[in-house]
Amino acid sequence: MIGNLLKGARGPKSNDSRYLLDVHRRDLPGKDTMCRYPESDEVDLLIVGAGAGGSVLAQRLARKGWRIVILEAGPFWHPDEDWVSDEAGSHRLYWNQKRIIGGADPISLGKNNSGRGVGGSMVHYAGYTPRFHPSDFETLTKDGVGADWPISYGELKPHYEELERELPVAGQNWPWGDPHSYPFSPHPVSGAAQVLWRGAIEMGIEMRAGPVGIVNGTFGNRPHCIYRGYCLQGCKVNAKASPYVTHLPDALAHGVEIRADSMAVRVELDDAGKAIGVTYVREGEALERFQRAAAVAVCGYSIETPRLLLNSTSPRFPNGLGNSEDQVGRYVMVQGASQSAGRFPDEQRMYKAPPPEVSSEQFYETDEDRGFARGFSIQTISPLPIGWAEHVIAEGHFGRALREYMRDYNHWTTIGVLNELLPQPENRVTLAEEKDPYGVPVAHFAHSRCENDKANMEYSKKILKDILQAAGAQDTLTIQRYAHLIGGARMGTGPENSVVDADHRVWGVPNLFLADGSVCPTQGSANPALTIMALSSRLAERLATKQIRAAAMELAR
Amino acid sequence: MSEKRSLRDPGHLPNLRPDKRPRDPSWLPRQRRGITPQMIGRYPDYDVLENTENWDEATRRVVTARLDPPGPLRFFTAQEEPTLRAFCEVLLAQDAEPRVPVVELVDEKLAAGRLDGYEYEDMPDDRQTWRLVLQGLDGTAQEWHGKASFAACDSEDQEGIVKAFAAGALAGEAWVQLNVSHAWEVCTRMALEAFYSHPWAWNEIGFGGPAYPQGYMRLGPLSILEPHERPGATDEDPVRVAPELQG
Repeated sequence: MIGNLLKGARGPKSNDSRYLLDVHRRDLPGKDTMCRYPESDEVDLLIVGAGAGGSVLAQRLARKGWRIVILEAGPFWHPDEDWVSDEAGSHRLYWNQKRIIGGADPISLGKNNSGRGVGGSMVHYAGYTPRFHPSDFETLTKDGVGADWPISYGELKPHYEELERELPVAGQNWPWGDPHSYPFSPHPVSGAAQVLWRGAIEMGIEMRAGPVGIVNGTFGNRPHCIYRGYCLQGCKVNAKASPYVTHLPDALAHGVEIRADSMAVRVELDDAGKAIGVTYVREGEALERFQRAAAVAVCGYSIETPRLLLNSTSPRFPNGLGNSEDQVGRYVMVQGASQSAGRFPDEQRMYKAPPPEVSSEQFYETDEDRGFARGFSIQTISPLPIGWAEHVIAEGHFGRALREYMRDYNHWTTIGVLNELLPQPENRVTLAEEKDPYGVPVAHFAHSRCENDKANMEYSKKILKDILQAAGAQDTLTIQRYAHLIGGARMGTGPENSVVDADHRVWGVPNLFLADGSVCPTQGSANPALTIMALSSRLAERLATKQIRAAAMELAR
Repeated sequence: MSEKRSLRDPGHLPNLRPDKRPRDPSWLPRQRRGITPQMIGRYPDYDVLENTENWDEATRRVVTARLDPPGPLRFFTAQEEPTLRAFCEVLLAQDAEPRVPVVELVDEKLAAGRLDGYEYEDMPDDRQTWRLVLQGLDGTAQEWHGKASFAACDSEDQEGIVKAFAAGALAGEAWVQLNVSHAWEVCTRMALEAFYSHPWAWNEIGFGGPAYPQGYMRLGPLSILEPHERPGATDEDPVRVAPELQG
């Protein structure tokens, strides 16, 4: 009750990012005066990747006095110049370096789910920040599928709450999973989303507005959202949360160095098997460089983290780090993300307002009547013209038919699902024979759906059609696709079933941690960003309070 | 010329038509303001480029560069050009001027090596895929219609070949080096991105365009048009209607 009364008034306790940002320009204040550490200096923690996982870890520990360097493969953005309100012009935001995809159901990468540059993929995510449900942490016990986590929802809960204040998250009181409220009231719902919401009500499906990490009200120097609809192209407004605005300003103010354009090549170990730093290459240079560190945290996400571990071979670890039992790169997951669009008599102009607006987690958990384990969530979305063209051509329309459907764009509105696809050992990242310009083998990602996955996706597509029909859609178009990435170096109870322990520590290397989405054993049907941040926040707390056995780590402080 | 009908009625959509085929676009008025591809006027009085002064400088630079005189081709060869043009024309129904320079925009992306970050394991590099597809289209034109190239076929035959391409149902010397369905996805992804990145195409579909720092505030359902936006085609006299729309 008190939480509701205080909506709009609860700020985070230990993060000043919102005040450190400049109202008039989007460059990070503090970038030009940021700390620089010599490569020979053994920093307390070297982080690989300035995305959701790495940035939160850095911000938290910098506040505890740790001396930290982040290596980021991509550029340090100047959003005023580098980011544009334009789909095709946003190509640079994505991880466009070559990767090979295979399996029976290959997954599109690049703009679909892979970011590059300071701020990571959250620079171009949709802004959607739901929590995982408590059931996600024990699907094997409860549902007989997937895996159990070595940690529980309860251990993440305080970190979810703190991050929701930091982003800050706007949304209605949330009735699903662990019921909770949000610090900011929900954004206004566009007409395009209201039409779908009405259809859901008609079907007896409950939907709610939010949760999105988008400013709705006053929040330090971050402005209110202007509903321009280009969340996926990088928020030039600074209204949408990404580590670039939520954690890195505070990290810089506390002595973190972000070394951009620096691609990690290998984690190096000493003779005793302890990590001593990372070899990396700067963009445009051929020379390999080496940064010393007392501990290393890899935060490169589900493709690059396994790739770096697999490439870090030595006589002691001939198959790469954490991989003595052939676990690295396995159990990579994506979510089924079919979307259906409906045509309505009035203009909808769905390109206005944030792409996700209202959603339902009513189908999240297992319902035996449905004939498969686990479930899906439902979210409204709003593709811009190029995204809309992909919807149209997916149904085989080209030429005049394509143009006709495209001209009808303003009459359409779109709703999608996120299906929980199950972790499978053969859905994995391996190293291909082909090498990148730095001599590192490129990643190969194989993905195939199991029968449960297919049944889940089929069932949910029917629900979408039902909602559109109930809403009064005159015509529909459906595209089957996939979204997000998670897993690939999961946490577990031993090296035979995982890559890291419950403290994110790589089995066999006492001072090497993974702090990104790759450690998740399951994914639920929630967008992963908030959970990735919450995991890093928890890890940081445990490192800072020395709850992790540090005997072998010999950290400087 | 346009017949009397309301856009609330979806009868123009191919899925809803008895023969499932699109109508000739002549049911729509001619564009009256700004440019659309082939001057098709579904939003006859809307020109997104009249709003450029409200865009941020970086966005304006990126978008208006697409209006520069296109070409010359740097990636595709003079031999490949006719089939490439014919294929893009059929794919996007650009059978008359003014045309969005899809060919040049795709060429520019390939020449600059701006690839999309993933490659199917059963496919070559996207650049090689495009070359093989053009060879494959010529081979199929020869095999099916006895023509020297895809470009030499009449438009009905070209459409038939593209339809088979979309269905993944092409075979022959160049096609065996590709997964035809994946090749369709690679080529259409790039061509569609080129076409719908162009402000003339935004005019055609009535898209409001970039909106920073201006923002969108008319989220609907009742108030749906920003001051710079215009409704879909009507049969009303634009001279009488347009002044009332000035936001």
